Amino acid sequence: MSRTLKLAAVIGAITSMPIAPSVAAAENLRVVASFSIIADFAKNVGGDRVDIVTLVGPNGDAHVYEPKPADAATVGSADVVLVNGLQFEGFLQRLVEASATKAPIVELTKGGEVLRNAEEEGHHDQDQAAEGGEKHAAAEEGHEEGHHHHGESDPHAWQSVHNAELYVKNIADAFCAADAAGCDTYRANAESYGQQLEALEAEIKAAVAEIPEDKRTIITSHDAYGYFEHEYGIKFLAPEGVSTESEASASDVAALIKQIRQDKASAIFVENVTNPRLIEQIASETGLKVGGELYSDALSDKNGPAATYLEMMRHNITTIKGAILGS
Amino acid sequence: MRTNWASATAIALLVSLSTSAAHAEEVTAWRLFISDHADPKVTVVDAIDGEKLDTFEIKGPASLHRSESGRTVFAVQGSAGVVAGIASGISFEDHGEHGDIDVEAPKLAGVEITGKKPSHFVEHDGDFAVFFDGEGVARIISEKSVLEGKPDFRQVKTDAPQHGVAVAYGSHVLLSEPNREKPDELPVGISVADKAGAPIDGVHACPDLHGEASSGNILAFACATGLLVVSHGDGSPAIRHLPYADSLPDGKTTTLIGGRGLQYFLGNYGADKVVLIDPTIESDAFRLINLPTRSVHFAIDPVRAKFAYVFTEDGQLHQLDVVKGEIANSLKLTDPYSMDGHWSDPRPRVAVAGDKIVVTDPLQGVLHVVDATSFEKTGDIAVEGKPFNIVSVGGSGQTHEGE
Repeated sequence: MSRTLKLAAVIGAITSMPIAPSVAAAENLRVVASFSIIADFAKNVGGDRVDIVTLVGPNGDAHVYEPKPADAATVGSADVVLVNGLQFEGFLQRLVEASATKAPIVELTKGGEVLRNAEEEGHHDQDQAAEGGEKHAAAEEGHEEGHHHHGESDPHAWQSVHNAELYVKNIADAFCAADAAGCDTYRANAESYGQQLEALEAEIKAAVAEIPEDKRTIITSHDAYGYFEHEYGIKFLAPEGVSTESEASASDVAALIKQIRQDKASAIFVENVTNPRLIEQIASETGLKVGGELYSDALSDKNGPAATYLEMMRHNITTIKGAILGS
Repeated sequence: MRTNWASATAIALLVSLSTSAAHAEEVTAWRLFISDHADPKVTVVDAIDGEKLDTFEIKGPASLHRSESGRTVFAVQGSAGVVAGIASGISFEDHGEHGDIDVEAPKLAGVEITGKKPSHFVEHDGDFAVFFDGEGVARIISEKSVLEGKPDFRQVKTDAPQHGVAVAYGSHVLLSEPNREKPDELPVGISVADKAGAPIDGVHACPDLHGEASSGNILAFACATGLLVVSHGDGSPAIRHLPYADSLPDGKTTTLIGGRGLQYFLGNYGADKVVLIDPTIESDAFRLINLPTRSVHFAIDPVRAKFAYVFTEDGQLHQLDVVKGEIANSLKLTDPYSMDGHWSDPRPRVAVAGDKIVVTDPLQGVLHVVDATSFEKTGDIAVEGKPFNIVSVGGSGQTHEGE
């Protein structure tokens, strides 16, 4: 798997903070989740033994989130802080410093296979992933030429269900370390949820198999689906890079439109965390019809179609398949 | 390499990742720009060794503003009717995993914007808007134009002279709305002009508008009734009114500053209180903090996001913990500076330069330097005259040999 690298080799130790002492069994574990998808994982692992506060809530964009003093207070009183890592939460360092928290900061991508940021090779996925060629990430992060404004790794690892299983394992490990008395419960919950994840992954692979190979190129707002592409074979093109922080330039958009025509993209989608205007413009210029809304970096609210991770992934593949086969 | 101007600390590093420069230096440079209360001059002091770098003669006593990038300092000379740009001499270039610093001599940029009674100065996304009260006109210029010495400003007019404010907000301009019935009083709201200068959406009420600040992606104006909170809307600015909480005593904010690192606003609220504001929530948006005496000046800490500083008339500097919403430490620095008397009498001002908090003491002709980590006074820097307004510019970065 040459386009990947072991995260462990990149970031070394996950937590720079000492592990907090185990909490008394009578008290729930106070857990802070950096964004809604992690909060859902934590809820499935922690069950009734944890109280979870989510910093970036449903439909929120963690790339551009501005932490508030109240967030610092919340992190300061937490027992465990769960984050994605890979520079997804650009606000994390300043928030942790301001909070003076003693809780472990647990990066859930620890130990996973990390994709390289497509921007490193030129914007808009100019690489050969869809042609069978894969790019190697640097052996040592940060030792390359060029500008790396959003980190060298693609942070959206949860878009592979296989990686989601790792997130869940890391959450269970973190909860066990902080609350040994509840460890059996956490492990059992993680195993049960893991079975649901395995079933989900099988559903996604089956759905992709029904899509003709020459119709597996689609358009979204930002490069959030690299792991989905890598794992399941749908090629995603996007006007914005892995972070929504920087807007696409006119030349970026023009290049993408040219590529859409060359690659004969099958469908185009808006995302729940980005402004739909640019996608609507591209749809208008390419004649593609917007095929619906995909959930990338956040869940929907509880009344939406993607209130949990399982629902989000099912909604996304159903929407993608429906738009492509209906086009 | 032009670091000799900096008197900067330089730590040689062997940096293996650069192909163009096998040898790089880590350089830290901080400069203080200080205006005088009586004389038309700006003194530049190296904040690291306390040495004076230069003095610029200007046309009138000035209030000072620094740009977000730190490349430019503006001297707003209200009585002289001039705003002058000064190139700070320190600039940064972001290289992702590291930043480069370039340190040159500070100099007058050669750009002056003239008009009647320049007052409020606001930067937004690299565009500077100066409001000229005597004309009711805002003149807007980019940092690029200032540093190139080109006076390429555009002008936006309001209906009448006023103690107003303007913000260049992307392709729109936010403008204070004059009080037509009582022209000598503060503006009554904010209007939005599109790129062509045409008003859209009417006037957003903000009685007694005075005070503006940005924190992250939110801009706020202080009103007698609360805050006008501006964020990016769909194609035009989204503006909403956040009323003061019922639990607050009578009062209003007239000076506002915005947090860095954490998103919040800090304002005065009455003479002897400050208020911490989280404009993203409806309940508990305002946290009131009582001060021991009346407030003279306050500043946020751009490095240690948890702290802001308030100077009070009893000569004390207070370290404000914005997370807990309480004063964490206090330090006596000067003789008392009473808030009785004229609002513009010489009184201390606060700036943060890296690990140092610097407080002007105009009547003693010194700058007091406080270590930001220990919150203990570490020294004084003598400055001729009555050092009054102060801003700091600087930071750390790499320089590469041969570049």
